[in-house]
Amino acid sequence: MTLLEFAISNLRRRAARSGLTMSAIALGIAAVVALTSIAWGFEASWQKANDARGTDLIVTRVASENTMPTPFREERVRQVLAAMPHVHEVVGLLSEMLTVSEDAPPVFVFGWVYGSYLWDHLKLQQGHWPREPMEDGVVIGSIAAETLHKKVGDFIEIEGKRFAVIGLFESSAVVENGALIMTLDQAQLITDKPGKVNVLNIKLDTTASEAEVQAIKERVKRELPGYVAITSGELVRKNAVVRISKAMSNATILIAGLVGALVVFNTMLMSINERTKEIGILLALGWQRATVMKLVFSEAVVLSLLGGAAGILVGIGIAWGLEHVELMRGKIDPVFSVPFCFAVLGLSVLLGICGGIYPALKAARMQPSAALRYE
Amino acid sequence: MTTASPKLRIQEVALHYDDGQTRALDGVSLEVAPGEFVAIVGPSGSGKSSLLNVIGTLEQPTAGQVYLDGKAYSEIRDASLFRRENIGFVFQSFNLIPTLTALENVVVPTVGGSGRVAAHRSRAQALLAQLGLGARMGHLPGKLSGGERQRVAIARALINNPRMILADEPTGSLDSANAEQVLDILKGVIKQQGLAMIMVTHDAKVSAHADRIIHMRDGRIEQEGGT
Ligand SMILES: Nc1ncnc2c1ncn2[C@@H]1O[C@H](COP(=O)(O)OP(=O)(O)OP(=O)(O)O)[C@@H](O)[C@H]1O
Ligand SMILES: [Mg+2]
Repeated sequence: MTLLEFAISNLRRRAARSGLTMSAIALGIAAVVALTSIAWGFEASWQKANDARGTDLIVTRVASENTMPTPFREERVRQVLAAMPHVHEVVGLLSEMLTVSEDAPPVFVFGWVYGSYLWDHLKLQQGHWPREPMEDGVVIGSIAAETLHKKVGDFIEIEGKRFAVIGLFESSAVVENGALIMTLDQAQLITDKPGKVNVLNIKLDTTASEAEVQAIKERVKRELPGYVAITSGELVRKNAVVRISKAMSNATILIAGLVGALVVFNTMLMSINERTKEIGILLALGWQRATVMKLVFSEAVVLSLLGGAAGILVGIGIAWGLEHVELMRGKIDPVFSVPFCFAVLGLSVLLGICGGIYPALKAARMQPSAALRYE
Repeated sequence: MTTASPKLRIQEVALHYDDGQTRALDGVSLEVAPGEFVAIVGPSGSGKSSLLNVIGTLEQPTAGQVYLDGKAYSEIRDASLFRRENIGFVFQSFNLIPTLTALENVVVPTVGGSGRVAAHRSRAQALLAQLGLGARMGHLPGKLSGGERQRVAIARALINNPRMILADEPTGSLDSANAEQVLDILKGVIKQQGLAMIMVTHDAKVSAHADRIIHMRDGRIEQEGGT
C-alpha cells in the first residue's frame, strides 16, 4: 500500500463529506472555467474578426474603449492616413448593436465600405453581395439567420427602413456570423451619421516591418491629435467589455480559490480532529511526522484535484450552454485549451495545498502519547 | 532474574508533568532479558502506561536513562525511525484502521518508509498466515472477531521485525479463550526470536503467564516477583 492509496481510502471512509467538499470545489472551478473561457472568448472573437479581415492597424478616437468606438468624421483622417508610407488601403467601418426583431435579441449591424477588402474573407453561401454603394440590401451571417429566422429573399426592418436579405455568408469569426452587414453608405444613412465611422481599418502592404508599423503609430499620434492607431489585439485588450469580463473572471478565480481553500481547510481540519487517535497510532507505529503531513496533504490535494477536474467538465458545459442561449449566440466564442485546463487543475492543486497546510501541520505536530490517550 | 547483557535497561527514570506537580514516574529502574515477558500491574494512575510510553520513545523522561541493546535513548536522533525499527506496539482497543483490510492494516507501519511495497506485502501475508488469519487477509476489521483483530494488530507490531513488544492491556477487550490464544502467540514470538515483551495488565490470569510481575504504585516499582 502506498501513501496515496492510504489517502484515497481515508477519503472514501467519509464518502459523503468528501463528495460535498469536492462538489463545492467543483462549483467554484466551474464558475472560473465558464467565466474565464467566455472572457477570453470575447477577446478572441473580436481579435479573430479583425485578423480574418486582414486589418493591420485600427484608428479610433483616443477615448474610445468600446467594441463600438465613438463615431467620427472620417474624410480628413482617412486622407492623412492614406498618405502615409506602406498604407495600402484605409476603409471606414460603422458598427451598431441593434434590435431588428421583437422576438430576437439585438444583433450587430456592420456598415462596410462598398468594394473594400473587408468583404474579401467572407464566404458567400447564398444570394449575392451588395452591387452598388447605396444598395438597400443586407447580407446575413449564418448564426444571425438562425436567431432572426431570416433567409435570403426575406425582408428585415432596421432603424425604420426595410432591407432585403440579399445574401447569406459564413465567416471564421463568430461575431461576424452573428451579424448583419450592409454598405457603409446605407449604415450611415439609417443611423443618421453621414460621413462618420467608428473605426478606420488600415491594411498595410506586405513589406511593412514591425518598426515601420510602430512609426505609423507614432505619426498618427503626432499628426492626428485625438486619434490613436493600434493593432487589433490592442483594441480588443482596451475594450471595456473585454476588460470587465476579464476583471470578473479574475475576481471569480480569487473567490473560487479562497472558498475552495476554506472548504478544504474545514474538511481536513475536521477529518484530522476526528482521527486524532489514529494519527497518534501512526506516530507510535513509527511514521515520520513528514509522512503524516504528506498523508494530510495528499488527501487535501486529491479532494481538490478531483473537485477541480469535475469543475472543468461542468464549466465547459456551462460555457457551451451559454454559447447556445439565444441572447449570447454569435457574440461569444468560449476558448478552451489544454494549457488552460492544466492551469485550472494547477489552481485546484494550489487551493488544496493552501487549505491543507494548517491541518497537515497540526496533524504532524500531535504528541503521539497525548493523541493515543484521546477518546 | 538477571542476565549479563539485558535487552532493555531502565535506570532511575522519572517522568514529571506540570513542573513536577504530577510524577507519573518517580525513579523507575528495571532490566529485561532477551526473550523475557514482564507483566506490569498496579492501580489506575500508577504510571504503567507512562512507563510504556517512555520505553516506547513516545515520551522523553524527565530524568534517567533507557538503553535498548546497549543503545542509550538520549542518543537517538530520529525517534520515529527508532520506533519503526525497534518497537512493536499492541493496544487494548486494537486501533486498526476500519477502512483498510487486515492485510493493509499490517503494512501500515511501512507506508512512507523504505523498502519495496511488494516485499512488505508478502511479509505481511506470511505473518497473517502464521497467526492463523490466512483466509481473512482481505477482510475489513469490522468483519473480524475481537481475537482476530488483535492478531492482526500483533502482525502489524511484528511487520518491521522489532526488538521489543510493548503491550498495554492487549487482552483487555477479549474473552478468556481469545486472551489465552493471543498470549500464547505473543509468548511464542518473543521466545523464538529473543525479543523483550512488556505488558500492562489488570488481569491476574494474564500476568500469570509472565516470567516476572512488576507491581507499580505512585510512579514507582513497589514490588517485583516471579510467578
Ligand atoms: N499528559 C499528562 N499530563 C499530566 N498528567 C498526566 C499526563 N499523562 C499522564 N498523567 C498522569 O500520570 C499518572 C500516571 O498515568 P498513567 O496513564 O501512566 O497511569 P496508568 O497506570 O496507565 O493508569 P490506567 O491503569 O488507568 O491506565 C496519572 O496520575 C495521570 O493522570
Ligand atoms: Mg494506562
